[in-house]
Amino acid sequence: MTNGGVGRSGPSVGGLALRVVLAAAGLAALGYGVDGLLSMSRATRPTNAGAWLIGGIVVHDALLVPATMIVGFALSRLVPAPYRAVVQGALLVSGSVALASLPLWRGYGGSADNPSVNPLAYGRNLAIVLGAVWAGAALIMAGRAVAARRGRPGAGRGPGRQSGGRRFARTRRRAGRRPAREQPARSG
Amino acid sequence: MQRFPRVFTGRLTKGARLLSARLPEPPAAARRGPLRAGAFPSTLHDPRVASLLGIALGIAFGTCFLTGLVSHFMQHPPDWLQWPSRPVWLYRVTQGLHVMTGLASVPLLLVKLWTVYPRLWGWPPLRSVGHALERLTIVPLIAGSLFQLATGIANIAQWYRFRFFFTVTHYWIAWITIGALVVHIAAKLTVVRANVGRNRYEDLSRTDPQDAGPPTGGLTRRGLAVATGTAAAVIVVTTAGQSVPALAPLDLLAPRRPDLGPQGLPVNRTARAARVAAAARDPEYRLEVIGARRVVYRLAEVHALPRHTVRLPITCVEGWSADATWHGPRLRDLLDAALIPADATVRVESLEARGGYRASEVRPAHARDPLTLLATGLDGADLDLDHGYPVRLIAPDRPGVLQTKWVHRVVML
Repeated sequence: MTNGGVGRSGPSVGGLALRVVLAAAGLAALGYGVDGLLSMSRATRPTNAGAWLIGGIVVHDALLVPATMIVGFALSRLVPAPYRAVVQGALLVSGSVALASLPLWRGYGGSADNPSVNPLAYGRNLAIVLGAVWAGAALIMAGRAVAARRGRPGAGRGPGRQSGGRRFARTRRRAGRRPAREQPARSG
Repeated sequence: MQRFPRVFTGRLTKGARLLSARLPEPPAAARRGPLRAGAFPSTLHDPRVASLLGIALGIAFGTCFLTGLVSHFMQHPPDWLQWPSRPVWLYRVTQGLHVMTGLASVPLLLVKLWTVYPRLWGWPPLRSVGHALERLTIVPLIAGSLFQLATGIANIAQWYRFRFFFTVTHYWIAWITIGALVVHIAAKLTVVRANVGRNRYEDLSRTDPQDAGPPTGGLTRRGLAVATGTAAAVIVVTTAGQSVPALAPLDLLAPRRPDLGPQGLPVNRTARAARVAAAARDPEYRLEVIGARRVVYRLAEVHALPRHTVRLPITCVEGWSADATWHGPRLRDLLDAALIPADATVRVESLEARGGYRASEVRPAHARDPLTLLATGLDGADLDLDHGYPVRLIAPDRPGVLQTKWVHRVVML
């Protein structure tokens, strides 16, 4: 990842002052939160809350992201180029929807004496929503297949660029509007 | 630049120099595995993608924080704060928005964290004092963000696998998260400025037509943005129906349906859970109103009072809300009968013996509002036991936990 083209000339003093004020305000809010969390320990159970805070980072950084990367790697071997982006997108949508509703379709939570909490058939509903997502993905893939066949009769094997026509024009325009400044310094 | 006194600017720049002084680099032999150069080849690990997602996430978290503050201070108002009782839908909108933006943040946060994941393994791990401090504030930001979304999702499903009390902990971690977010904005402002907007820096390697799709044939930056936006939109569309009546038919993945429950209305706390079922059905039930005078009503006498009908939404802190038609005497008429002055705050008490929500305070704006009832009926019938039979409070623009059920006493404070 580059440093994103941040100028080498250094920030203006006005910008620096704004950042100092923001940082100070942020640290104050952060400190206020830590103080409240620790001083209301009967309700917040800081040890338990701390375990969940650290646990979230560990589960995300050590499980979720590596698992995503393994799936990405598998896709790069299994799904050919014009369709891979669509499959990636559909997986992103599916995973997000499933995570945001996880307790519901897993049947966690609620209480036996209150049927108005989590009242729906969530497994079926998740299947309906994901079915719609993948139907949409299939349509896009079919569209790409047709476009590849029509638009480039001779170039059937390189369909990764078949949809690049419009995008190509747009990026060319943008490249023309803003000539290069300087190459960004590599930072990592 | 001239607007700042020289001493101040001098100190600022001196401080900036101190923060940017380089730290020694660890031995190159340690640079292995994910630490090695090029370990994360995807072109989507990109500052422009990270900046745009960061802006979207900043707006979502800002909305969550502000609407969360509204909910917190409606439930725990300081003495000087008088919430208005109108518009009747205010809390419905803010709390519905709170849960909606929180759920929509799931893909925004996960994709954002994925785009910047290589930074976790950046080399050298600590470039300067400033860089070390910045990395340190990332810890509460990421931990707090994941915590808020995970506990929020668990709470709306009433799934309690943690031992801390949700509302208090969610509130304090919100301050930690938003504080760390503001520090993060301060740290990344120049990166965002360089990558977003008209004057952004254009990396020519990306405007190369060969790069319109990345060489791997996977998602482009635009494709990633579309997929992330689609994920957020699908989540919102399939859950917003629990608070937006027009979207109710699409309510497939929300923990509530506004029309499912006794008398077609959801319940948050049942009479059994509150252990009031016997007391609420007791024929010796009395409603007491205590002001300068103490007035005691039998249930039949409450029913004989002038009856009003109001249409008000009930909005739960968990985000769902539903319109309903309520019947019963106006609270203000009962207060007048007990000679409680118009500027007095009253406490409405439930039959519940204990619990944080057994009583609620009603300040004058709500106590005197003509729409505020001590309701005995719902949609033309007596209240269901789980909706607060025999008498419950229903007031406009007020969190559901403060719409006290199974009311047996109103006391002037």
